[in-house]
Amino acid sequence: MATITCKDFLDRLESWMEGDVHSDSQAHLRNCPHCRSLVDDLKGIRSEARSWGAEEAEPSARVWASLRSQLEQEGLIRPADAAKTTWFGGWFASLPRPALASAYLTLLIAGAFAVSRPMSRPSNEARWLAASQDSTMPLRAQLIAEQNSFASFNNANPVVNASLHENLAIVDNYIALCEKSVQEEPQNEVARDYLYQAYQQKADLLAQMTERGENNR
Amino acid sequence: MSASHFVRKQFTWNAGWKAAALLLPGLFICGMASATPPPRRQEQHFKVDAHPVVTIHNPNGMITVKAWTKSEVMVISTRASDYVEVEAEQMGNRVDVSTHAAADNVAPDDMRADYQINVPEDAELQIHDDSGEVNVANVLGDMNVETVAAGVDLEDSAGYVTIKTVGGSFQCTRCAGKLEISSISGNLRLTDIHSFHVHAQTSTGNILFSGEFLPNGIYRLKNYSGVIEVRFSPADSFALSATSLKGKVINQASLTPKSHQQHFYSRFGNSLFGTFNAGRAKVELTSFDGTINILKRD
Amino acid sequence: MPEAEAIRLAQQGNAAAFERLYRLHNRRVYSLCLRMVSNTAEAEDLTQEAFLQLFRKIATFRGESAFSTWLHRLAVNVVLMKLRKKSGTETSLDEMTEPDEDSGGPRRDFGTLDLRLSGSIDRVNLQRAVEQLPPGYKAVFVLHDVQGYEHNEIAEIMQCSIGNSKSQLHKARMRLRELLHEAVRDKAREDRKAASAESGSED
Repeated sequence: MATITCKDFLDRLESWMEGDVHSDSQAHLRNCPHCRSLVDDLKGIRSEARSWGAEEAEPSARVWASLRSQLEQEGLIRPADAAKTTWFGGWFASLPRPALASAYLTLLIAGAFAVSRPMSRPSNEARWLAASQDSTMPLRAQLIAEQNSFASFNNANPVVNASLHENLAIVDNYIALCEKSVQEEPQNEVARDYLYQAYQQKADLLAQMTERGENNR
Repeated sequence: MSASHFVRKQFTWNAGWKAAALLLPGLFICGMASATPPPRRQEQHFKVDAHPVVTIHNPNGMITVKAWTKSEVMVISTRASDYVEVEAEQMGNRVDVSTHAAADNVAPDDMRADYQINVPEDAELQIHDDSGEVNVANVLGDMNVETVAAGVDLEDSAGYVTIKTVGGSFQCTRCAGKLEISSISGNLRLTDIHSFHVHAQTSTGNILFSGEFLPNGIYRLKNYSGVIEVRFSPADSFALSATSLKGKVINQASLTPKSHQQHFYSRFGNSLFGTFNAGRAKVELTSFDGTINILKRD
Repeated sequence: MPEAEAIRLAQQGNAAAFERLYRLHNRRVYSLCLRMVSNTAEAEDLTQEAFLQLFRKIATFRGESAFSTWLHRLAVNVVLMKLRKKSGTETSLDEMTEPDEDSGGPRRDFGTLDLRLSGSIDRVNLQRAVEQLPPGYKAVFVLHDVQGYEHNEIAEIMQCSIGNSKSQLHKARMRLRELLHEAVRDKAREDRKAASAESGSED
């Protein structure tokens, strides 16, 4: 085992504190009281900081009172009946409807599961592909059903109308290409990331069309 | 019935007719006045404190916002027709500006309002404009802009800026602060940028970035297809990851190999990793099948 | 009310939802602010400002990151902007560290290593030492060692790289060690003065 100097040890100290321990560093510590003292000090600081962090203080009641008053003044807190979607309010909030929201949430969970699978472990490609298809198939069906209900979507503004329909077609094309890419290379993280993003964009676009469709009724 | 009574009635009738003859034109004039629509161009002023919040909801039209030195928000609105109403109201330190249809089935050309708004430079802006144009200059507060087809042009901003468009393009010049931009088909053009955090993504649009790479800054540009072009200077310092799954990566920067790869990126596609000078900023460029150009600034 | 539901309702202006989000996160945000500025009134003001900024922007929250990460990012920015204003100079966030950042390492002062710190690292001394850290070091130290965030979370909150977060933390701890040593030396000097004054007066 090579012996290292105090300078070498100091150069590695940052990694040491993050748990990256080398045997020659351990040997140096056994023989060097100065570096041992340094490490003990840093560990002591870290330990005291942790116990400090275990205690959480609570602000006084005036903070919420003052905050609430400010929110009411700025109109961010609205009375119960005004909190319903107004002609432009829903457009401003831009949230999916409940049915689409649940599809969106399922998508995010399924997508996060699909994307987060660690590629360093050996994986059964066919089983992964079947599992990801199983998790996304009902979701795709739901998105398609939602989209069919927009076949007759017609916003009063032809520019907006054209843009929404055109971009929906772009995203659908993008989804088809990404799905094909993921099928061809199931372990391709970049392709899966793009597919996940494409689904998100589609859900978002359908949500926007929903609000404008409701606003035009 | 006596003759005098008849005379009195006649007088009354005559007086009544005279009164009516005098009053009716006046009533008619008053009636005409109340039926006259408000002027198409209106100007309103609101006194505000520091860091006011200004929200603008306009489905169709141009929105121009500029900063000025007064502690005041000025709203000048111009309506295209009488079928559209504009409303500006203040609640505390917040000014809400919005456009409404005044009737059903209003034609799109009539349903337009243009705004010119002056705000204190530390104002926070929230803007929605489906079609038209949004121009913002010299506002240093945070802003959130959402459009469908409207293009967005930003100059000299410094706050936390989030931009979301469907098909509208985005242009930003001399912007600092933090930038998060997303679009489906809009082109994104970022020039003379002095920001430490840039996340820009578009699916089929192009992305151009020409600005400083600040130490510890993070610059993530992503598209599906189209071109991503990044221009650098010899004095810049960045760690680069550039991946195009099915397209090309063209690089003019002399990079030194890094001791380890970014584990996020897969081994598929055309990838480039390396450090330019001391590698102090982080630059991540990703495209599905577009071209990535890393070019020297002229 | 679960957090996701509270966020959705808050986006529609529901008062109870705002309060729910406040109650869920106020202690953690306030503790962070208090550890950064060491003054309860100031920490309360910063807590209020952080939540106000959050609630103003809540309509734009799309779930791209965890809500708590987003909130803590806002809180850290609010605190750091406040500290920046206090210092009277407009420095960028990445300059809020020791001027020797580019030297690649902490100062190596072996001369004081004969004075062990163990026994001197108590809460009061540590808090005083943290108060003296530059804002950037203080933020990373408080977030990691005190609040318990991981480096990837700190990178997200502070918008820096993971490597940068680790490096700043190490430098913060080394600086704290120097400050604690100085405090021990100062105390020892005062004790010696007091002892000699006592023995002088007895003579």
